[in-house]
Amino acid sequence: MFIALAVLPLLLGLGYAMAYSLGLVGLLSEGFTLAHWEEVLGSAFFWRTMAFSAWVSVVTTVLAVGVALGFVAAWPRVFLRGSLSLFIYFPLAIPAIVMAFIVFQMLSAGGLVSRLAYQLGLISGLEQFPGLVNDYWGIGIIAAHFLMAAPFFIIFFANLYENEQVEEFVQLARTLGAGARQAALRVAAPLLLRRAFPTIVLYGLFVMGAYEAPLLLGRQSNQMVSVLAIQKLQRFNLGDIPQAYVACIAYSAIVLSLAVWLLGRNGEERLKYQGSGGRGKKV
Amino acid sequence: MAKRLLKYAFIALLLVPFGFLLMLSLGRGWAYPEVFPRQWTLENWHFVWGAQAGLGRSTLLSLAISLGIAAPVTLAGFWVSKHIAYSRRRRFWLVLAYLPYVLAPAVLAACLQAFFFRAELSGKVWGVVLAQLFITFPYGVIFFSGFWNEQMRAMEQLAATLGGRPRQAYARVLIPVGRGALMTCFFQIFLISWFEYGLTMLIGVGKVQTLTLKVFQYVGEANIFFAALTGCLLVLPPLVLLWLNKRYVFARAGAR
Amino acid sequence: MIREQKRRSALWFFLSSILLWSCGGQQERRPEEAADVLSMPWEAIEQQARGSTVNLMMWQGDPLINAYMEQYVKPAVKERFGINLRIAGGQGSIIVQALLAELQAGRPNSELDLMWINGETFYQLRQIGALFGPWTDKLPNARYIDFENPFIGQDFQQPADGFECPWGNVQMAIIYDSLKAPAPPQDRAELLAFVRRHPGCFTFDNHFTGLTFLKILLMDIAGGPQVLAGPFDEEKYRRYAPLLWDYIRELKPYLWKQGNAFPEAVAPMHQMFANGELWFTMSNNDSEVDNKVLQGLFPESARAYVWEVGTIQNSHYMGIARNAANKAAAMVVANFLISPEAQHRKQDPAVWGDGTVLSMEKLPPEWQEKFRKLPGRRHAPPREQMQARALPELAPEYMIRLAADFRKEILGQ
Repeated sequence: MFIALAVLPLLLGLGYAMAYSLGLVGLLSEGFTLAHWEEVLGSAFFWRTMAFSAWVSVVTTVLAVGVALGFVAAWPRVFLRGSLSLFIYFPLAIPAIVMAFIVFQMLSAGGLVSRLAYQLGLISGLEQFPGLVNDYWGIGIIAAHFLMAAPFFIIFFANLYENEQVEEFVQLARTLGAGARQAALRVAAPLLLRRAFPTIVLYGLFVMGAYEAPLLLGRQSNQMVSVLAIQKLQRFNLGDIPQAYVACIAYSAIVLSLAVWLLGRNGEERLKYQGSGGRGKKV
Repeated sequence: MAKRLLKYAFIALLLVPFGFLLMLSLGRGWAYPEVFPRQWTLENWHFVWGAQAGLGRSTLLSLAISLGIAAPVTLAGFWVSKHIAYSRRRRFWLVLAYLPYVLAPAVLAACLQAFFFRAELSGKVWGVVLAQLFITFPYGVIFFSGFWNEQMRAMEQLAATLGGRPRQAYARVLIPVGRGALMTCFFQIFLISWFEYGLTMLIGVGKVQTLTLKVFQYVGEANIFFAALTGCLLVLPPLVLLWLNKRYVFARAGAR
Repeated sequence: MIREQKRRSALWFFLSSILLWSCGGQQERRPEEAADVLSMPWEAIEQQARGSTVNLMMWQGDPLINAYMEQYVKPAVKERFGINLRIAGGQGSIIVQALLAELQAGRPNSELDLMWINGETFYQLRQIGALFGPWTDKLPNARYIDFENPFIGQDFQQPADGFECPWGNVQMAIIYDSLKAPAPPQDRAELLAFVRRHPGCFTFDNHFTGLTFLKILLMDIAGGPQVLAGPFDEEKYRRYAPLLWDYIRELKPYLWKQGNAFPEAVAPMHQMFANGELWFTMSNNDSEVDNKVLQGLFPESARAYVWEVGTIQNSHYMGIARNAANKAAAMVVANFLISPEAQHRKQDPAVWGDGTVLSMEKLPPEWQEKFRKLPGRRHAPPREQMQARALPELAPEYMIRLAADFRKEILGQ
């Protein structure tokens, strides 16, 4: 019941968006219509936007989780004690819009990296610098979100490593003859991944709905879904507002079912794992 | 030795963005292909401080709102997530908690705005706090959902068997064990609230002037020196808080 | 089980009733109680304004502008009229969204009193009936404003009609680096030839400024501003817009990123101009180039210029919300903003450099003298010279259509 307090307003918000998209509310609405839904769902660009958002989200999350797992499996203790345990938190304090700004000033053709390359004699002018921002594949967007996500996952995994006594399992595997690498790959990583799964999914969703970084670092032909929605919501034509809501509801529905499916699968695996592990389960 | 060096290199890497921001905030004229600005000056800082009156008060307001949200939400998230984790409909509740994150924040704000206006909560600090609760509370719940496992349950049961009351189980067992997670969650929620722009803007109608609201427009504007300076202004208080927090926790951890 | 079901249906009932409650607001329109402010003499308005608070929402992205408001306007209205001016950051769409939500919720008192608006924001606010008015003829200082001047009295071809008060006047300028492009292109054909020789150094943004640039091209293609003057003309749009897209498609491969990406706003474009990636940028404010050089962002070699076919000149305004709680005080603040003193200060390039909306002929001689003595700009042509190449704004539908069709025709959305 407690959670209903948190969820209620959001259901209300969605209800409002739904009503707006069907022309039931809104100062300029002209009564019930499905036209906005047809317009959005029928456009190839909307689906491309969805695909591009998914691409950025998956690449960012996989990269960040992979790198973080690697670091934590290699040096589990370093991030919990000593100076790194403080500094690793620092990047979390950078908001998306500032991170987007930093990445833009670093990776654009006239940015810091290009200047360094010039000073080192690697390039002889900024036009030779490869296009890393506003590019086709969303490298700039992925870079910005990776820089925010990787430290977060390092902290998260390091805490899990300790809480879940992963160390014990690793030691056990080692005594049973596994190499350090094997123990990290076959024991530590799956254990951490399984426990962290809901958070990873959450982070993926968070990246998928990102707005600031894609706005500055993206391009119009490959847009992310928030950028598209805000463009419809705020850019010039009040008649486009219902379409913005359609885009959001459709996006929410798709992503939410995806999350249910992912979490559900993970839940089953956990049961299996717990069953075979002989650790009593009453979940 | 090599490991030590590697560690320092890693720390240096983590500090690069901050050094870069600081450099630009103190600069004027940054023409290609110069690596450093042509001129170093405090003028940018003087200028923004003069142009945006009341930055100090906004900082205090921001701190009050963010701390006021982060502390109860972390504890509530901790408590509620436990009940959800052990409940039969675990998945159902968890999926509901994901809801705020599948909607783009700006759209969520636009949807909620109508309700806040109707409830006469717009333009008020309480309205903004309530709005931020809507997005931070589910975060807290999801954050801790991975924390609860059989082991924690066993520990709690052990505490109960040994005659501890539920409150004691929290105070003596669960909270100390989850200290690291609690701190991370607290900091994350503090940050979400600290950097919140869209909701604060729309629900507060620009009247609840948090620090983020006050200087945010500089970040997106043309002048990179002011944008970098704004970045410094926004990032500095969380870093100080982090340092204090870490130090305090370390002191406690060391004493144990 | 049954209890669970009951609980659930109660929840749904609760949900839907709140939803209805939130949407139902539109019906209760309040009668215009504003009439009494408009029938009061100015002294009484000033009297009523004393001691109240005015909430002003404006764009706050430029420290020069913020300093003018915070350090000059705010203390002045406090001292002279006893008004507390509270400034909140926010522009165009945020203002529209806030007032739209208020109207939909049926709020009797708006959170905003005064807003800095123009063009499509004015159009949208009129569209949803969110503006109070007509009120500008009540302002004593309005007698100095030249409402007959189409660049001031008309906002995107719509008469201001007293629903917004002119505040400043600017003209679009193209900015270039005089070291890299000593002889910048002066028209469409020259631009095409120029970018063919120097690919990648020119672009325009996917927001206001870029759309203004597209409007200028459209006017040029149509054969002059008079062709598209007046209300939106579908037939003319259909005749000339395809020619515009043909031209842009010709230009596209030689634009920045081969025209596959456009900066989302003018800010990143300025940044890329500052670091040398672009040779050109553009601004809707002719004096921005001086400000940005002064701030150390643009190189000393940056210059603003206007094509021979001209660029669009327009004004920006102050509007009052229909449900503003402090209309009298908002009017007093607006009156101060258009006083010769405040306008004179604002036009100083070291302060802001925003063009005045006051008519020199109407001003008392001592003020005419003061305006004449204002220091000139170093990086942009003098105002009189630009005035000769000023084009009027087009009806707002042109911009809305161009924005949508630009996405469809050029961006492939």
